[in-house]
Amino acid sequence: MAELDFERSLERQFADPPYFPDSEAFAQRVESKLNRGWIMRRWMIGCAGVVGGLVGVSQLVMSSVLDRVETVSHGSTKAIEAGIAQVRPSFDLLSLVQSDWAVVWVASALAVVAMGFVLTRVIEEI
Amino acid sequence: MTGSQHRLASLHDVELATLAATGDRGAFGELVRRHGSAVRGLLRRMGAAPSEADDTAQDAFLAAFEGIAEYRGEGAFAGWVKRIAARQYLRRLQRERRLASLALEAEEADEVQAGPDAAQRIDLDEALKALGAAERLCVTMCYGAGLSHAEAAEALNLPLGTVKSHVKRGLDRLRTRLAPADGAVEGRRGNG
Repeated sequence: MAELDFERSLERQFADPPYFPDSEAFAQRVESKLNRGWIMRRWMIGCAGVVGGLVGVSQLVMSSVLDRVETVSHGSTKAIEAGIAQVRPSFDLLSLVQSDWAVVWVASALAVVAMGFVLTRVIEEI
Repeated sequence: MTGSQHRLASLHDVELATLAATGDRGAFGELVRRHGSAVRGLLRRMGAAPSEADDTAQDAFLAAFEGIAEYRGEGAFAGWVKRIAARQYLRRLQRERRLASLALEAEEADEVQAGPDAAQRIDLDEALKALGAAERLCVTMCYGAGLSHAEAAEALNLPLGTVKSHVKRGLDRLRTRLAPADGAVEGRRGNG
């Protein structure tokens, strides 16, 4: 047999897989391992996102950033109020916000948590 | 078989790989169903024990799923996974420090026994058992996994000339064993 013919014949024989009676069970084992890995990854990414969000919120609360934001907010509110008063002296909507600043902080915290979830989703997509 | 499995079964490997790249594990499962035997068979032909071959094949498929985006459909999916599996098996051998001893074994391999009687049918798997471990590895990597001699040399961490001589000696031995029964082997193909 010519060298080339023999090599081609050998390649064909190698390409012919042996029969495995448990081939379906093997495929299922691989699939279940993939699924387990996928679920674990989702949990880990989710947990990382929540932890990140919580750390972010706690850092914000602990730092003086909030005080500074409050100061800036007060200043800017007054400036805006003065501007609006010039345009429409009777407009008093901002006084609603001023009455309870806790609403603003809660909204900020929720925004940070939402950012955590967005980050989680982005990492998952990557 | 569910409707989803029916749909997947009708798709081409490249389409399944594209779906798998989007995270569709069902599509990848179909690829495993199609090519699992080929990969497991290759590893056994390389000399892996059945359980070791199955573990390595499983790891290879998991690695293939992780890197599925790298498969662009330029070659056969089976060939791509086989190359991953062959490299994984070699890494396993290296980790267990068995690779170096296998390479040495080749030099001490027994001379091939006399070819079988023409009436006696011998298949590739039996013929491969007559080869030295390194010859078997090199021949299987080049003809089973589709690696070039240079790629096999790099994967095995052996000089190119050594790999070429292993392949040549392995082919000579295989020819001696397979040639008389070649017609029979051809006729028997398709058992899996």
